[in-house]
Amino acid sequence: MKYLLPKNELYSRLARWSAEYSILAPQKVGEYSEFLPFTAQSELCLQEPHNTRYPAKALFFPQSETILKYNRISGQLESAAPESQKRIVFGIRPCDAKAVTLLDTVFAEGDNQDPFWLARRAETFLIGLGCHEPCATCFCTSTESGPFHTEGLDALLTDLGEVFFVETLSERVEALFSELSPAEAAQQEIALAVQAAAEKSLPKVFELDGIKEKLDRVFDKEIWAELSQSCLGCGICTFLCPTCFCFDLVDEAQRGTRVRNWDTCMYRVYSLEASAHNPRPTRRERTRQRLMHKYSYWWEHAGKLGCTGCGRCVRYCPVGLDIRAMIKKASAYESEAQHAN
Amino acid sequence: MSELEQKIRSEAERLLKEGLVDVVIAFRKEDAPLRPQPAFFTHPEDLENLTYNGLCANNLANYLTRYPRETRIGMLVRGCENRSVNALIVEKQHSRENLYLIGIPCTGIIDWRKVIALTGEDILGYEDTDSTLIVRARHQTFRLPRQELLHPSCQRCVHPNPLSADILLGEALPEGDPTLIRARVESFEALSREERTAFFRQEAERCIRCYACREACPMCYCEECFVDHNTPRWTESGTTPAGTHAWHIIRAFHQTGRCTSCGACERACPMDIQMTYLTDKLGKDMWDYYQFAAGMDDKTQPPFAAFTMDDKKHFQAGGKLS
Repeated sequence: MKYLLPKNELYSRLARWSAEYSILAPQKVGEYSEFLPFTAQSELCLQEPHNTRYPAKALFFPQSETILKYNRISGQLESAAPESQKRIVFGIRPCDAKAVTLLDTVFAEGDNQDPFWLARRAETFLIGLGCHEPCATCFCTSTESGPFHTEGLDALLTDLGEVFFVETLSERVEALFSELSPAEAAQQEIALAVQAAAEKSLPKVFELDGIKEKLDRVFDKEIWAELSQSCLGCGICTFLCPTCFCFDLVDEAQRGTRVRNWDTCMYRVYSLEASAHNPRPTRRERTRQRLMHKYSYWWEHAGKLGCTGCGRCVRYCPVGLDIRAMIKKASAYESEAQHAN
Repeated sequence: MSELEQKIRSEAERLLKEGLVDVVIAFRKEDAPLRPQPAFFTHPEDLENLTYNGLCANNLANYLTRYPRETRIGMLVRGCENRSVNALIVEKQHSRENLYLIGIPCTGIIDWRKVIALTGEDILGYEDTDSTLIVRARHQTFRLPRQELLHPSCQRCVHPNPLSADILLGEALPEGDPTLIRARVESFEALSREERTAFFRQEAERCIRCYACREACPMCYCEECFVDHNTPRWTESGTTPAGTHAWHIIRAFHQTGRCTSCGACERACPMDIQMTYLTDKLGKDMWDYYQFAAGMDDKTQPPFAAFTMDDKKHFQAGGKLS
């Protein structure tokens, strides 16, 4: 169904929903925004063209999470799995919603049924906000996504100035909007025009056709040394990435907790083995891993690209590395002989 | 292309063509808006990509420790980078004979986040002039006063000129006002203990432990950082208060007498965490107690790395600060 949500009714609508759901929405923290619980005092940050800085994946897969409590003396164990909770994530961007569906293939497919992920996913509705002004660092149109794509969303909002045009995409959220006035054909046409203009403003930066094969062919080539030369080896690109999912399990023995923390292939210690051997000894191998995982290995384990083009890694890289340029260079690199010319 | 950029390029070209260095570390044109990248030039023909302007945000001395001491490195250095290089030479991380420092008096690094907050990201081009940053965005051209856009560490910079460069390109600038950096530390010192704790917590607890501050810092070159050590582990692993507090305190302490106040840590931080109030406080203490400032030459050991018989012993029972 299609509805109109007047912007001046947004807060009262959210307040009404919050009687039954806990609501998470983008809010300012200093100069940036992240998803925080909506309260009567909340001021939402929905106007900025770019995404929350801290990724929405943390709402389902927190950066540090206790998964087990234990008593070292009594030997008693206690699971810390969260209970399912009715939640609305309001204002999530299409790139981040798509990323959640990609992470489903990691945490909730086949034999992999992660109770922490499942509990947070089950009753959480994703109400998306399309991007009518995509940023220069965004590239969702190149990554099987787009500024108004609906994958993973229960509803999508299009900003039409005074009102949001709402399109519901799943049965389960229908009741949330049913009191709103339905959108007329004319308004739908305006919304479609806004969506088309946004899509058009973001031309593709590369074609995905054959990209996996091209990257696989240059796996052991020198191009990776060149691409990784300025990389600092910090965790920004992977921690802010909505699809990176690596974690480390640590026993905080003094507290008697087992903790799951985000981890990153960009760290030297990530692949360091107990023997002191490191199969990815330099930034060259680590940078290659980050790019190859997203643009090659994801096709193998999920049949999909592992990047949604959100642009966070581009925007916040402290040395200005741009994954778009890196992928273009690596996939165009055919041979060292050619490179020497 | 600016006149300064042309001079840098010519000098880099000379060094490479005459075989005086193996690599020139400088900046190249950006891929993402406003983000020139550190670059490593080994062939003169690649120098057409070299760029230099106020948006070159990284401390290039950071890359020094990636090379063997035998590598002959030409490096672009501004005031802070030169001090970092000096501090690294003191710590025997490279030999001075194998360095050729191309010095640039620095008018301060522009904080790209401040720029896009005003202009948006849709930037077609920009020009960094003496007093103004001119940004051509898609719908509008902005003329922004440069001084307001500078990174906080640069706004209170004391020594903008390279101290020991092999060549200085451009006119030396007047020294900065030394009271600015002290005033900032003093205002923190003047807070009550509770206020200081609250401020520290507000900053440190936003940390996502990406260690960009560490990786951007020339002085953080340990093969294994204390947070990466796991037999035993020294700190709590997660983004809990205990974990983030430990990281921020110990990181800062390891900089005592070594930090040159370049601000690269804060420029790299993805969560806008302030850190220099801690390292600048340590810098002030180093000056007040030992009349030492890091990186002012490439010979003097930092007080905590040196031992003399007349060291102050105020940590002993009955000891006094003299």
